[in-house]
Amino acid sequence: MSKQNLLEIDSVRIDVRVTRRKRLRIVDTASFNLQPGQLLGLIGESGSGKTMLCRSLVGTLLRRGAYVHSGSIKFDGEELAHATKRQWQKIRGRQIGYVPQSALAGPNPVLKIGAQLAEAINQGEKKSAAEVRSRAIELLELVQIRRPEVVLKQYPYELSGGMKQRVMIACAIAQNPKLIVADEPTTGLDVTVQAEILDLLKRVREEFKTSIILVSHDLQMINSVCDDIVVMHAGVTVEQLSAGQVQNSLHPYTRALYESRIDLVEPRGRLATIKGQPPAVGAWPSGCRFADRCDYVQDRCRNTDPIPFFKISESHMSACVRHEEIFGGKK
Amino acid sequence: MTRIIDATNLSVTFKSYGYEIPAVKNVEFHLNEGEVVGVVGESGSGKSTLARVLAGLQIPTTGQVLYMGEPIQRGSVTYPGEMRKAVQMVFQDPYSSLNPRMRILNAVVEAIIQHQTRDRAAAEEIALKLLKRMGISETDARKYPNSLSGGQRQRASVARALSAQPKVLIADEPTSAIDQSAQSQLLELFTDLMADGLSIILISHDLGVIRYLSDRVYVMENGVFVESGNTQDIFNKPEERYTQKLIASIPK
Repeated sequence: MSKQNLLEIDSVRIDVRVTRRKRLRIVDTASFNLQPGQLLGLIGESGSGKTMLCRSLVGTLLRRGAYVHSGSIKFDGEELAHATKRQWQKIRGRQIGYVPQSALAGPNPVLKIGAQLAEAINQGEKKSAAEVRSRAIELLELVQIRRPEVVLKQYPYELSGGMKQRVMIACAIAQNPKLIVADEPTTGLDVTVQAEILDLLKRVREEFKTSIILVSHDLQMINSVCDDIVVMHAGVTVEQLSAGQVQNSLHPYTRALYESRIDLVEPRGRLATIKGQPPAVGAWPSGCRFADRCDYVQDRCRNTDPIPFFKISESHMSACVRHEEIFGGKK
Repeated sequence: MTRIIDATNLSVTFKSYGYEIPAVKNVEFHLNEGEVVGVVGESGSGKSTLARVLAGLQIPTTGQVLYMGEPIQRGSVTYPGEMRKAVQMVFQDPYSSLNPRMRILNAVVEAIIQHQTRDRAAAEEIALKLLKRMGISETDARKYPNSLSGGQRQRASVARALSAQPKVLIADEPTSAIDQSAQSQLLELFTDLMADGLSIILISHDLGVIRYLSDRVYVMENGVFVESGNTQDIFNKPEERYTQKLIASIPK
C-alpha cells in the first residue's frame, strides 16, 4: 500500500509442473507487506506453501520445477515475480539473504566452512584472499562463533547443529542484505539452541536494520519474537496481524492455532484441537479452505471464491468473510 | 504402587575407533504402574539411548532393567516370550517408521497376528477398531503411509504399538516431527490411553508436552540425570542450573 514497504506481495500464485501437461497450484493468493527493519513471522502447517513462497523471494523456484504463475512480488520498488536469471543474480544473496530450512543439511558437506563463507563474500566484486579471510572471521565473530580461525578450517560434520545454523546465517548476512528470509531456522534444534539463534537474528536486525522473514510452524515462538505475523493455510495467506494481537485475531484458523497451545491449559486439561487435516494440494475446495475444519462455517464461506483479504486496520488483514459477525467486529 | 519398570546402575558405552563414548552413565530409573514419566534433555544427552535400553533394543554395558521384578534380558534375548508384548515403542519419525510398501491396515494387522490372534479376518476387525479409535477412518487405513499426513502416521504407529496390548508405551519424541494441530490430537489420544491405565515413558525436548502430560520428570544432561521429581515441582522450582536454562528457553 504505502511507499515505505520494503516488500509487497500481492495475490501471488505459484504452480508446479507435475507432468508435461499437468500443473498443480501450491500457493494461491498469498499477500502480505513487510516494512524495512521489520521482523515478520510466517506460519502455517506443513504443506501450506510457506517454503515455496520463501523460494519465490530468492528466485530458486525453478529448481523445484515451480514458477510464479501470477501476482506481484515488489521488492524495494522492483518487480520480481517474473524476474530473469540475471536479475536474480543481482538480488539473491546480495539484497535478499536466505537461510535454508535444514540446519543440519544446509552447508555443503564437502566444503570447509571457510570456502563456503568465501563463496558468499565473493558475490559482487572480487576481493583478495586476505580480505576474504578477515571478512569471514568478522562474520563468524558476528554470529558468536568462538575461535573462528579454527572453524574456518573445519568441515560441517565437525560442527553442532546450532553452529551450522550460525554459519548459514553468517553466509546470509555476508553482503549486508536488506532482507533475510529464514526458513524454519530452528526446527530440529534444541530449545536452548533455538533461543540463542533467535537472539542472534534479533541482534542482526538491530545492528544492520535488516528486515527478516522468519518461517515456522510454531506460533508460540513466532509470537514471542516477531513484530508481525502472517498466517498461511492451504496455500493462502489467511491473516496478517501484529504479534501482540494474536488473542484478538479475526480468523478462526489463527484463533484455533492460538487456542491449541499446550501452555495455556492445565496439565491434562482439555486441549483445543483443530478438526481434521488441511486439504491436500490439488484437492482444494472452492471458497474458504478452512471451511471443513471451521466451527463457524456457513454456506457463503464456500460460495465466495476467491475470499477477499479484508483490511481491518493498517496492520491487520483477515481472509474470513464472517470476521465481523464471529468476532464482534472489534478491531 | 508397583514398580512396573525398574532400572539400576544403567550404563551404555559406545565404542568408536578405539574411543569409548559413554552415552548413559549409571542411571537409576523407575516407572510406577499407571504413571507417565517424562525424560527431557538436549540432543546428545542420552535420552534416546535410554529409551532403546528400556525397550530392549539396546543391551546396556552395565546394570539391568527389571520388568515386574524380573530381568528383561535372558542370555542375548530381551523381553523373552510373552514379556515382549508388555513394553512397546513409538518412534520419533513417523515418516520412516512405517513400511512405505505396506498399507496402514496391514501394518497393524501384522502386529495383531503376531500378538493376539492367528485369524486374519478377526485381526483385521480388531485393527480397524483400533485405528478408528486413533482417529483413522477405514478408507485412510487402506492407504499407503505416503498418502497420510505426519500426524496420521504417528497415530497409526501408536495403533501398531497398542496392538500388542502393552502395559508400557515408550514414546521417543512422538510430537517433534508433526504440526501443532496434529500434536494436540496426539496428546489428547495419550490422555485417553492413560485413563485406560497405560503407563507411558515420554522422551521429549519439548517441555510444554512434558509439563502437560507427565507426573514425574527426569532431566538428563550428558548421560546422567541431573534432576528428577514431580513435574509441578521441577517446573515451579527448578534447582539445577541446567533445568533452569531449559525452562528459560521456552518461548513465552
